[in-house]
Amino acid sequence: MADPVTIAWAPPAARYSLRTRAPQGLPPILASAPFADGHALGLGPDEWLLLLPDGTPPPVIDGLHALTDIGHRNLALLVEGPAAATLIQGGVALDLSLDTFPVSKATRTVHDGVEIILWRTGETAFRIEAWRSFAGHLHAALRLAAGDL
Amino acid sequence: MLLIHCPYCDERRPELEFGYAGEAHIARPPKPDDMTDAEWETYLFVRTNARGRHFERWRHIHGCGRFFNAVRDTVTDRFERTYKAGVPRPGEADGWTGETGGIV
Ligand SMILES: [Zn+2]
Repeated sequence: MADPVTIAWAPPAARYSLRTRAPQGLPPILASAPFADGHALGLGPDEWLLLLPDGTPPPVIDGLHALTDIGHRNLALLVEGPAAATLIQGGVALDLSLDTFPVSKATRTVHDGVEIILWRTGETAFRIEAWRSFAGHLHAALRLAAGDL
Repeated sequence: MLLIHCPYCDERRPELEFGYAGEAHIARPPKPDDMTDAEWETYLFVRTNARGRHFERWRHIHGCGRFFNAVRDTVTDRFERTYKAGVPRPGEADGWTGETGGIV
């Protein structure tokens, strides 16, 4: 039988924090959308996380904005499988059912005391971004909880 | 756990994503040099400390990151309403008189 859930480190990626009040081609808050060769995640009314292939140079943005390379600040975990939502739900106080947390929704929140960015990439697939120094704890907490599934 | 409505995310979110940031609608005096020490002390330290309806600042720090304001009853801990930073106190610029219809 296949594992109900797998937890894997995501490959290296380029990450940029984008702040602008004149968003063009960017998703609204709490949503994600394709952006260049990757994705943009709407974290706040004027804040986006750009996830792009490793080595991508800073994208050109129109208008007044701030763009910061945060590629080395984060690590990401890919949590996938039929029990992925159940596993993450153990540490997150948001309702992760599909009607309130649909595919492509993204938000900053807290998992077991660690600030994360939670992005639902599929019905049974999530990407969790965390600051590098917290990622080890996050990984251990998820693996521990997965043992109880 | 309390659920708090963030007016920017437009969702009710768990209390642990938020930080409290004191009483709302306290404007920094434009000319501190013209103030007496007593007036400056009042600006810095003296707060309403309401028993009942209180207008206060919160920050969705582990969410969208934005500051916003809330009307909370300090006796019941019930959030009557939240609203975006920079807009007038509910009841001043609109017809809001109480809880009804204000909560999402
Ligand atoms: Zn928010």
